[in-house]
Amino acid sequence: MIRRFGWQLASFALFFGLWELAGRWPVSAAFPPFSNTAVALWELVVDGSLGKAYWLTLQPLALGIVLCGLAGIGFGIGMGLSRSVEWLTLPVFVILQAAPMAAIIPLITYVYGIGLTSKVLAVTMLAAPVIVMNSYKGIRNTHPSLLQMCRSFQGTRRQEVLKIVLPHAAALIFTGLRLGLAMGFIGIVIAELLITPTGIGDLITYHSSVADYPRMFATIASIVAVAALSLHGLERLERRLFP
Amino acid sequence: MIRSLFFIAFFFVNPAAAQTTIKYALGDVVSIDELPLLVAVERAKKRGVTVQVQAFKSEEIATQAVINGQADVGQGTPYAAVEKVSVPIRFFYQLTSLQFYPIVNREFYKTWKDLDGQEIVVHARGSGTEAIMNLMAKEHGIKYRNVSFVPGSNVRAIGLLKGTIKASILDASNKNYVMKEAPGKFLILPLGQVKASDEALFAREEFLQKSQAAVSVLVEELIRVNREINKDPGSIVAERRKLGLLKDLPAKLEEEILPYFKEGVETGIFPNDGGGENAAKNDLEFFRLSGALKSPDLKVEKFWTFAPLKAALSKLQ
Repeated sequence: MIRRFGWQLASFALFFGLWELAGRWPVSAAFPPFSNTAVALWELVVDGSLGKAYWLTLQPLALGIVLCGLAGIGFGIGMGLSRSVEWLTLPVFVILQAAPMAAIIPLITYVYGIGLTSKVLAVTMLAAPVIVMNSYKGIRNTHPSLLQMCRSFQGTRRQEVLKIVLPHAAALIFTGLRLGLAMGFIGIVIAELLITPTGIGDLITYHSSVADYPRMFATIASIVAVAALSLHGLERLERRLFP
Repeated sequence: MIRSLFFIAFFFVNPAAAQTTIKYALGDVVSIDELPLLVAVERAKKRGVTVQVQAFKSEEIATQAVINGQADVGQGTPYAAVEKVSVPIRFFYQLTSLQFYPIVNREFYKTWKDLDGQEIVVHARGSGTEAIMNLMAKEHGIKYRNVSFVPGSNVRAIGLLKGTIKASILDASNKNYVMKEAPGKFLILPLGQVKASDEALFAREEFLQKSQAAVSVLVEELIRVNREINKDPGSIVAERRKLGLLKDLPAKLEEEILPYFKEGVETGIFPNDGGGENAAKNDLEFFRLSGALKSPDLKVEKFWTFAPLKAALSKLQ
């Protein structure tokens, strides 16, 4: 355990060390060393601007993920259980999964304007396909011998779904939610950079426009860290819930 | 032999004629407001200076390209970057001065005082549009409830027409578009004397020293085009047709060329002398007030170099 922690620490030290060297070399006049970025991050935390930005960014992200969690899992289960629902909705999610979202997100503004709705929709469009497809695959891949066992014991369709299919698919559904959150982070940052600069997108855009590169990098590093830590936390929870 | 001698003599007498390439970074879509630049580029080409105009998504990316040496000349007003970045960058020519129009929905507001405690929408935090609106708020003793950011005059124009934005600030072509689409619905609020650059040219100091002759040719041609426009705004329309520039421009935008340049000439946005020291001083004052420039000791020579402009002006007089 201590040895693993040591390796992880060494890996971080190596990465930040290389970053520091690259900044001091420098690879570009706009690339700050790690030390300057760390100081800038501290300043952003202390003056409250990072907190305010996260408050604004996490609202559409949370709304989008909750919507996807409810509707997405519902669709996924529906598609897994019914051929008609699958036939009707599967192509939509396959297309959404394949579509280059950075090109599509600006189009949302033509219909939904520049407010919160557009940003929630951007999160939904990126997160929903992963959540839906995972739920669908989870249901569809239920082991046939388990289903046969339920039927041979005269189990009803309701019992088959509630006692066999859903528990069997739960792990994959949860994985879908975790991956959906990862896509949601991508969606919200793209939306804040492409639609209207608010929250984290505003901090990145503003500090880039006034050439405050350490603060710009600090903001980017912070959102990467928040996303990575959230996903790591969910992964640990997943391992505990579905060992 | 005679032919070779002729070529050597030609280049010796006219060093600018030696084929030189300037990589030009534009942080915007090439549209009608870039016509003077495009004409100057065509004319410079005939004099042996090829200017490769590359359009980037934003001014920041164009500035990055200049800082990193991937582009030679950039267009915009990145004063904050010039102040902070370690590579010496200098402005050397004012393309146009600011021409913006604070616009409000007549149903809700009629004067600057009506905007007290209301929401306004500008281009971006730290942008010229925000600086203008803040200066006007100071002048009229009002305070906005909230300043929202919507990049792109065209996007804000659509927001105004749809009713999602009630007070904003637009450039000339989008102001004209909005007024034409919804006659009587909007009102332009009076703007005091705001003097600053909308677009200026900047480059690394090292490049300006190394490529004096080529830069001088470009500046000379830019000044020449501006002087022609100021004399007769219709000249740019004729020149566009003659050189076949922006051929795929939609008919709707084509109609806007002449009004745009007429209005620009009336408001004096195309300098006859490349801006020079006056432009530099006005810019420093404007961007200090806007908050983009932080240093208490702002010296013109840290931001501008006047040698290319002086060289070009001496040839034109």
